[in-house]
Order: sequence, then C-alpha cells, then structure tokens
Amino acid sequence: MSSQKNLKLSRRQYFFLIIQSQIGVGIIALPFDLHSAAKQDGWISLLMAGMLITVLMFFLWLLAKKYPDKDYFQIQEYVLSRWGGKAFSVLYIGYFACVGILILLLYSRMISLWVLPNTPYWILSLMMVAICIYIVCGDIIIMGRLYTMFSGFLIFMVGLILYSGKDSKLIYLFPIAADGWGGIFAGIDKGIISFLGFILALVVYSVVDGNSKDKLKTIIYAQLTVLFFYLSIVFVTFTFFSTKEIALVSEPVLYMLKSYQFPIVARIDLFFISMWMIFVTTSLSTYLYMAGLGTRRVLQKKNNPFIILLVGALFYLLSLFIGFDIAKLEKFSNFVVKGGYIFSMGLPLLILFISLFRKSPKKENAV
Amino acid sequence: MGFFKDFLQKQQRTDRRIADESAEPQEPSTRSLSDNINYILTAFKRTEDLKVRILKKGEAALLYFESLVDQEKVQLSIFNPVEIGKVDSIHAIPNAKESTNLEEAIKSLLRGHAVYLEEGSRQISLFNVTSVFNRSVEEPANEKVVRGSHDGFVENIMININLLRKRIEHRDLKVKLYKVGKKTNTNVAIIYMEGLADPEIVLNMQKRVETIDSEMIQSPGYVEEFIEDSPWSPFPQMLNTERPDRVVANLMEGRIALFTEGSPTCLVAPATFFMFYQAPDDYNTRWYTGTFIRLIRLASFIIAIGLPAFYIAVVSFHFEVIPDDLITPVKASINEIAYPPVVEALVMVVIIELIREAGIRLPSPVGQTIGIVGGLVIGDAVVRAGLISNIMVIVIALTAIASFVVPSNELSTSLRLLTFPLICLSATLGFVGLIFGFLLITVHLTKLESYGVPYFAPVAPLRLTDLKDTFVRFPIFMMKKRPKDAHPMDYKAMGESREWKKNEQSKKS
Repeated sequence: MSSQKNLKLSRRQYFFLIIQSQIGVGIIALPFDLHSAAKQDGWISLLMAGMLITVLMFFLWLLAKKYPDKDYFQIQEYVLSRWGGKAFSVLYIGYFACVGILILLLYSRMISLWVLPNTPYWILSLMMVAICIYIVCGDIIIMGRLYTMFSGFLIFMVGLILYSGKDSKLIYLFPIAADGWGGIFAGIDKGIISFLGFILALVVYSVVDGNSKDKLKTIIYAQLTVLFFYLSIVFVTFTFFSTKEIALVSEPVLYMLKSYQFPIVARIDLFFISMWMIFVTTSLSTYLYMAGLGTRRVLQKKNNPFIILLVGALFYLLSLFIGFDIAKLEKFSNFVVKGGYIFSMGLPLLILFISLFRKSPKKENAV
Repeated sequence: MGFFKDFLQKQQRTDRRIADESAEPQEPSTRSLSDNINYILTAFKRTEDLKVRILKKGEAALLYFESLVDQEKVQLSIFNPVEIGKVDSIHAIPNAKESTNLEEAIKSLLRGHAVYLEEGSRQISLFNVTSVFNRSVEEPANEKVVRGSHDGFVENIMININLLRKRIEHRDLKVKLYKVGKKTNTNVAIIYMEGLADPEIVLNMQKRVETIDSEMIQSPGYVEEFIEDSPWSPFPQMLNTERPDRVVANLMEGRIALFTEGSPTCLVAPATFFMFYQAPDDYNTRWYTGTFIRLIRLASFIIAIGLPAFYIAVVSFHFEVIPDDLITPVKASINEIAYPPVVEALVMVVIIELIREAGIRLPSPVGQTIGIVGGLVIGDAVVRAGLISNIMVIVIALTAIASFVVPSNELSTSLRLLTFPLICLSATLGFVGLIFGFLLITVHLTKLESYGVPYFAPVAPLRLTDLKDTFVRFPIFMMKKRPKDAHPMDYKAMGESREWKKNEQSKKS
C-alpha cells in the first residue's frame, strides 16, 4: 500500500477529473436556463461562456505554474501570509460546502420530481453523501481512477442525445440575435454556472504528473470537451423543441428522451437520469474533496478519513434545513452563484495579481 | 504516538524471532542406548505406533513410526546393504544422515525417517524411508477445460513444484519453503520468477507468511485470510487454482504462487478482478472464440449481480420502462401473485442456493435427482401454485446460471452474495437504489488492492494496452507486453514472433 501513496495523477486522470467535476447537476436544466435568458440564442451565450472560462483557466494555470508543488490552499497561505491565507481558506471551505449543498439539493429535487416522488429528502441525500464520503475517503488517485472509469458513461449519454438529434429542426435556431445582444450577454451568466467545477484544476494541479505545458494542454482539452458536450445538449434540445415549447419544459433533456420508445425499452429518460446520478456523485465528491482538503490544510492535519466524514456530515445536516423547499432553494442557489463569481474567478485572479509582487519560492522549481 | 507504537511492535517482533531461534532444542545423545531410546519414547509420550526394533541382540535399535514409513524401503535401504555384505554395520551405510542431536532425530522421525542407534556410540543414523500416498495428477473437477492440458495439482507439495518445474525449465524459477503452524508444521512454498516478480511484493508476501502465528494451518483458504489485504471485502484478493498451466501463465506475468502441503489449491497474488474471468480455454481456442466467450463471461457478471435487482426495480417502481407490447404479459404474470416481488425474488434465490448446496454434499447420482426435483418440480409447482410469477423464475434461474459461468468458484460465491443487498436496495429505491448499489461496488473495487496493486486494473486505473487481454482476447502475438498490474520487472513478453511472414513477402517481391 505504501507504494500507492505517493503516486501522482496521470494527465489522463487529470483530464477526466476536470470533466467530471464540471459535468454534474446542471446538464438536465441547462438548456432551459440558457433559453430563459437568451431565447434561441442560448447556444451563443454558452459558447461565449465556454471561451471566457477557457481564458480564465489560462490565468489559473499561470497561478498554479508559479507554485508547482503547492496546492491551492497552500498557495493562499504563501501569498497572503499565513493567517490571511487561512482566513481565505475558511471562506473557500464555506463556499465549497455551499456548492456541495446546492448540488445535493438540486439532485434530490430532480430525483423526487422524476423518479421517486414519495421518498423523503433525508434518505435520498443521505445515500448520496454516504457514497461521496466513501469515494473521498480514498486518495485523490482513487478519485482519478474512478472518474476515468465513470467517464465511459459519457459515451452513452452523448449517444442518447445525438440519437435524439435525428428529429432536430434547425429552423428553431433562427433568427439569430433577433432581440439584440443583451439577452445573449445575460445568458453568459447562466452558462458560466455550469462550468464552475473548473476550480478543481487549480486545486489538484500540484499532484499531477508532467510539465506545466502539458498540463495546460490537458486543462484546455478538458475544457473544450466539456464545452462540446454542453453544446451538443443545447443544440439538440434547442432544435428539438421550438422556442415556445422550451419555455414550458423545465428539464428539456428528459422530456426530449421521454418521447422515444425503443422496441426493448421505453422511457429512456429514466436511464439517462440514472447515468446522470453518477455524474452528480462525482461532482459532489469533488466539492467534498476540496472542502475536506481545505479543512485539512487549515487544521494542519494529515489525510484523515475522520475529517472527510465530518465535512460530509456537515454537508448533509446543513442541507436538511432547506430540503425540498423551492423558495429557499431559489434564494440559496442565487447566493451560491454570486459566490461562484467571487471564489472561482475573483479571488484566484486577485491572488494571481498579488503573487506578481512576491517572488517565486524557488526559481528552479518553476520549470 | 505512532512512532512509539511502531517501536514497541518492532521490539516485540524481534523478541519473538530470537525466542523462536533459541527454542530450537539441542539435546546431545549419550553413549547409553537405553537412555537414548528412553528420551525419544518420552518425547513421543510413548505413542504406540512408534516401533522400536531391537537388533544385534540388544546392542542396537532401529526406531521408526510404523504409520509413516514404507516397510519395503526399510528393507531396501537399511537391511539389504548389510545382508549383501557391502557394508559391515548399519552406521556405515552411505545414504544415511549422521547426527548426534536427539531432538533432530525426533524431528526426522516425524518426517517419516528411521533412526538407528547403537550401544556405546553417540552416533545417530537417519534414513529417509517415508511412505507417500499420492493420487494421480488428474484434471481438477471444478476447472475443466475442453482443450489444453488435463493435469492438476495434488496434495503433495513436491509433486506440485515438479509440475511447475517441468513447465518452466529455467534457472530463475525460485522456490522458498516455510514451516507455518506451530503444531502442524505445514510446508508452505512461495514460488516466483526471480527478476520478473516485483521484489517488493515478494518481500511483502514473505513478511506476511512469516508473521502467521497460528498453531494450525489447514489449507490455502486458511492462509489466505491471514495474508490478504482486506479481509472485510466480499471479493477474493488471491486467485485460487488447481491448474498448473494457469499458475505457470501467472508466474510468467510476474505474479507469485503460494502452495501449502496437503492441498491441491494454489494461491496466486497479486490478483486482479479480471484474472478471475480468464480461463486457460481462452488461449487454446481461436481468438475470435476466446473473445466471444470472454465477453459472455463478463456479461454474466452484470447478470449475476444485477438482473434480479433490475427486474424488481422495473416491476415495482418503473413499470413505464417496459415497452407497450410487453406490458400485458408481464403484468398478467405478476397480477396473480400474492407476494411483493422482493419476497418472490428472495424466496427463489434461497431455494436455488438450497438446491445447489444439497447437490454438492450428496453423492453425484443423488445430486442429480435433487437437481431435477428441485429445479423442475419445485420450479413448475411454485408457478402453478401462484406463489411466484413465471418471469421471476426465469430471472432467478438466469441469474444462478450466470453466477456459475465465472471460472473461479470464490468469485462466483461472492457474486451470489452480492445479489442480496442489491435486491434490497432496488426494492426500496428502484433505479436510484440500484445505481447506488452499483456505485458502491465499483468504488469498492477501485479502492481494493491486492498486495499494493490496484484490484480493478486495467479498467481503473485505465491502461489501454492491457485491455487487449481483458474484455477481449487479442491474438497472442499481439500481446507483446506483460500486463502492468502485476508490476513485472520486465515488461517485454515477446519480440516479433511472426517475422517469417515479412521475410516471405520480401522474398516474393
């Protein structure tokens, strides 16, 4: 077992970690959200959001490259001095916990709406949290292996979605930008939410094998893959439903799949939602991992399953306060999305900016 | 704290080792014959199968266990030379082992040797006259193949090693013998290819075998629980096999084999999940066939653990998944049944397990009857009585058959055990529960390690080149590298073996 402990993530695992952390709860409602802001031009918003994130990732990479053997929390402590960094880390833990709770809430709501209407919230979320704790209790390398394996389901999902593409009518995408660019820019906001898991790329950067240039390539490829996946979903749903219809269906992907029946099996949406659960698990695990890592760094403890258990229990107990309550969920979701801008974009850029004025730890380490 | 704990443990361990070495008893023999014999007799608590033959009118004695020695061998190697007149006395026979340590004599008596003592001499002569009873190296009943070698390991460890040496005629094949079990003193052999097996894993295995502190060692299954990584896991982490060809193939991949005296089963480590799905048959047929059979086997894994759970989830939660044309027959068969599908499934699974267990214990002619009575009669009657729907009978029967497809008995039993939690999960939460169950199993498989080697390799961690021999079987000449999961020291397994083809073509042109 000792031989496994110091293994670094391979770049392939890094690639899938980034992908799996981003693809999560959002995909089912993504087209609806985009549409509510930008009408049929939602895909342009998504494209622009994806490009924006890719540029942002480049800056995050600059930050990570500067401190190649420190994880994000250690970078904070280094750049912002010890206690400043710790304060920031605590904020980050709070943020990751909020996102985790939001994922938990959205997932349980979706399952309750589509599959198990009578099951109480606490059971659905308890099982999810339990699985995630079990995953995260392993090393990051275990997570890398798992995420790589689970990515096989991506092929099935893409297959199902592309199959639905046979009934698409391109005419629904027109007219392009009829209502001006205001709506499209508003849609960028909705698009960015679905990419927010990208902060993981920065957090685990230090444990990935390879030189910084290759890592950048991996990050960019992963980002483009996710963008491509989202685009395919949005394209197919936008061309499947007309502009008026899509405003009525809050989960367009599922409604679209529901309309098909194969000779051996009907209700493909149920299978889709089952696969989607796996992606929810992975993205929730990512946030649990990051929150756990932050806690470990703040408390300066070694890898301890007890901390993960504690953080997981925290996720679960806090999420019980909201449960299926829609009004609270909306408020909370808005709050978390605002936080996303600060924590995934604002603060890393701020730290990058400050780090420019501090010298690198060791020149020879900076590759 | 951890440091102290380590320190203390190390202290204890070294202490014990020293104690063990000093416990090696030394008892010099005396010049008095009767004292020597007395010492030996009391050591054996005057057991009555220890025979003392008085020779030379009371001047000498030959001691041996009647139950352990072969009388013919005694005649041949001890009395014949004297009778022919080659040597003057029994002490002078050249193939005897000399000693003056009575404790050594006691040990060799237990091994089936004969001990010769003389009045007025401290010399002890030991003769190897052990009788051995061996069955022939027949094909193991639970690992039959259609084509390929038909021999199997037996209960004698030396014959087993002989079977391996005959197949690997190379100086790198290394055998390490251990005595495990304080009272039973069972021979345990660790066998590996030096320079191919990862020395770290070999060392690890040796350490684990050495630390076994048990009075008795019975079988490899017994040893396995002492030396495997996660005893709480439902999955076997060492491959059990009775086939020499399978062991040889694994040795050549850089794995380590472990034999115990008295059992034909060999343990192979480090094992991966997919090793349990490889059978020697795959490599004896054409590779298309091999691939096809292997795919069927792996599909059987999914069926064996997931089919009843899936069916229950469908009929009790997601009826809408069934296409329109099929709804009527399924619904019709279920409607009449009084019990919920979970109860049906659990009852059927338990019945099948009962039949299986009864069939194993009974002699084979009766076993077949049980199969017929249990399978046909009960199955038919249960449906007619309206206790269980006929689709459920199909599902459970299919599941049972699928679980028997696994070439390894250990994995097959674990699979059947895993069905139960999955059935319960899907009966309570439908597809959601099923997904949770599968997630739990895959996460567990990914986390599991066998001797520091990931158990679910080459899928997690993914290694594309090793997939050539996992879900499919590529032609053998294309598998030029050894699988990485065994950590071999040398990855190259073969060079270009079909060079002749290129040569032919270049000649033509």
